[in-house]
Amino acid sequence: MMGQPLVPTLLRKHLAELAARDERADGRGRWESRDLSVEVGVLERAEGSAKVQIGDTIVFTGIKFQIQTPYPDRPDEGGLMTSVELRPLAGRHIEPGPPSPESIEMARVVDRGIRESGCIDTKDLCIIAGEKVWQVIIDCFAISDDGNLFDAFALAAIAALHNATLPGERFDIGEDRPLPVNKTPIMCSFQKVGGRFVYDANREEELGGDERIHITLGGDDHVHSLQKGLKGAFTASEFAEIMDAAKQRCAELKKIVDSL
Amino acid sequence: MGYGDVQMIDEKGNRVDGRKAGDLRPIEIEMGVVPVADGSASVRWGTNYVIASIYGPMEAHPRKIQRQERAVLDVRYNMAPFSTTDRFRPGFNRRSREISKVTAEALESVVLLELYPRSKIRVEIEVICAEAGTRCVGLTAASLALADAGIPMTDLVVSVASGKINDVVVCDLNKEEDNYGEADLPMGILPNSGELVFLQMDGDLSPEQFQEAWDYNMNAAMEIHVMMKEAIANKYGGES
Amino acid sequence: MSSSGASDGRTSAASGSLVVPGDKICTETGGQLGHGVMKLDGSIIATKLGYVVEKGGEVSVTPLHTAYFPRPGDLVLGYIEGMRANIWFIDLGAPFNAILPMSLAPMKVEFGGTRDAMNVGTAILCRVQEIDESHSSVVTMKGMGLRKVNSGFVDTVPPHLVSLLSSGGDAILSQLKDASNCRIILCANGRIWVDGEPEGIRVVRDILAFIRNNADSDNLSSKVGNHLKQGNGE
Repeated sequence: MMGQPLVPTLLRKHLAELAARDERADGRGRWESRDLSVEVGVLERAEGSAKVQIGDTIVFTGIKFQIQTPYPDRPDEGGLMTSVELRPLAGRHIEPGPPSPESIEMARVVDRGIRESGCIDTKDLCIIAGEKVWQVIIDCFAISDDGNLFDAFALAAIAALHNATLPGERFDIGEDRPLPVNKTPIMCSFQKVGGRFVYDANREEELGGDERIHITLGGDDHVHSLQKGLKGAFTASEFAEIMDAAKQRCAELKKIVDSL
Repeated sequence: MGYGDVQMIDEKGNRVDGRKAGDLRPIEIEMGVVPVADGSASVRWGTNYVIASIYGPMEAHPRKIQRQERAVLDVRYNMAPFSTTDRFRPGFNRRSREISKVTAEALESVVLLELYPRSKIRVEIEVICAEAGTRCVGLTAASLALADAGIPMTDLVVSVASGKINDVVVCDLNKEEDNYGEADLPMGILPNSGELVFLQMDGDLSPEQFQEAWDYNMNAAMEIHVMMKEAIANKYGGES
Repeated sequence: MSSSGASDGRTSAASGSLVVPGDKICTETGGQLGHGVMKLDGSIIATKLGYVVEKGGEVSVTPLHTAYFPRPGDLVLGYIEGMRANIWFIDLGAPFNAILPMSLAPMKVEFGGTRDAMNVGTAILCRVQEIDESHSSVVTMKGMGLRKVNSGFVDTVPPHLVSLLSSGGDAILSQLKDASNCRIILCANGRIWVDGEPEGIRVVRDILAFIRNNADSDNLSSKVGNHLKQGNGE
């Protein structure tokens, strides 16, 4: 459960003043990211893994595989599941308890981007049609939440998938082989802060901001997933503006992931 | 294959990973790893990797958990889903609950709780990668994180386990040894006084073996205490 | 200072050295005990991570990190966290909340009119009036300069840096004020009210971020000076 943190009245006012001058509190431009790093193969017990750090936001994503029986209507297709753990380790504002609506939303938005991009062909996960298929489980885990967990999780998830190995030997069904991942879907998140959208909001901007929009793009700028969250309304031209910013940033991040 | 059927230690006393009976696995400690926390530390111990973070002391909510005469420690030990070979399913877990409880009680024995009536101190322990002995790594990491948060304590807590394989007592069982282990004796030790704040045991030990395991833990705790102080000095400077 | 003959295996720590909880500082001398230390079995031991200070017979540990602990008379910046008909609950970033009774508000408030006077999220400059044994604490807004904060921005530094920021006749604060042209009020709970033009506030926040990131390093004051010069040179 996420606590309801106190939003100081002054914070919203200050963010609005900065926005009016087209500035951000930490000196970034509207579409500028904080320092970002991606590392893969960081978790020894996971079949694929990545650590992403964006400013003071730190997350891990681990890929695990299980064997399951396929659905009768899709006997030769495996499964994909994404889970987000927002443990209270990662911030004062995160309270213990069962999965919060926030963490479930994050998991589903990350999942949609990956699923709909087709980066995993579920037919590649078939072991014996009608009997045995692989289920891919993407576990996203926050270590430190200083804002924009959505992008951190999505980036760690696709990087970890590219890093994953199907553990055939452990399950006695042949050799280990790399998980086929055909594409690199990338999520970019924008939040309205002080009346205009910015990219990669930090925790302070999230706290004093309004609605957010998450865009996942695949190759050739195809859109695979969109999500509007939190209270607020936006215009078509605002959306067109952030879509342009997303296209540029997604291409940059795709290069980073593909070069790992 | 069962107890004792697998050769885990050779005639020369070398263990599967090349250690001698009294040797620890490699330990690496890092302070301040969770930037948004009031205090934090990570401990890599063999392939165990545990992160602990502290929030507070803060006003205890809900009010019914407040104690008028002291602070409450709200300790959570948890395993990340990717921390084990078979995925660890998130959610309620009896083992995690028990470890959280005894860890809290161990830490309550050193934290000066009476300085903060009506407050709460959150201690979050997350196992990122599990090998064997995660409860010991978690307790050690939590005491470092508390120190990092500036929480007043009478001592750090060093936790380590010894056990028995092939009827030989050894210090700090790794995963393979733990799988075939015949006994496990985890302890939480105050390095300055030698007192214990945490103790569990399961398996089968003769009185002599029990004493041997106890002594291994005591010696190991002193060794680890030095590493803890070095890690703190590395991060914050000064000659410790 | 160093002391010999520790009988319990604890080694002694010299003044200025880094200690962790449980480290022996010296054998008990009968002198004063300061912050972050306690007596235990005839020794003085550290209870906090920090540096040993020995001054005028008093032994203490200057902690590397610590939570803010309110003391009567402290000037603090609080946020209204909730209210009842005749009191407000104030978050001070301390281990416990404080209350502000209607009678100690800066304006006249009718019973039941607390929300209209100051709503949740409002920042206030107040003073800690009293704290009792069970940590019930009361703040007041009656006094010079105590008031509702309506403009500017509130930033924070870890509370243990407050004394450093205010040391040497407010050396760092004066530099900040000169560089930013802002009004700056440093409160005991580590919150800093900065009021002025947005670019001035940006300058202050940039320096405060620098201070937070370099809090553990020596010679912070002169480093801040250098950082300010670099900033102005750009």
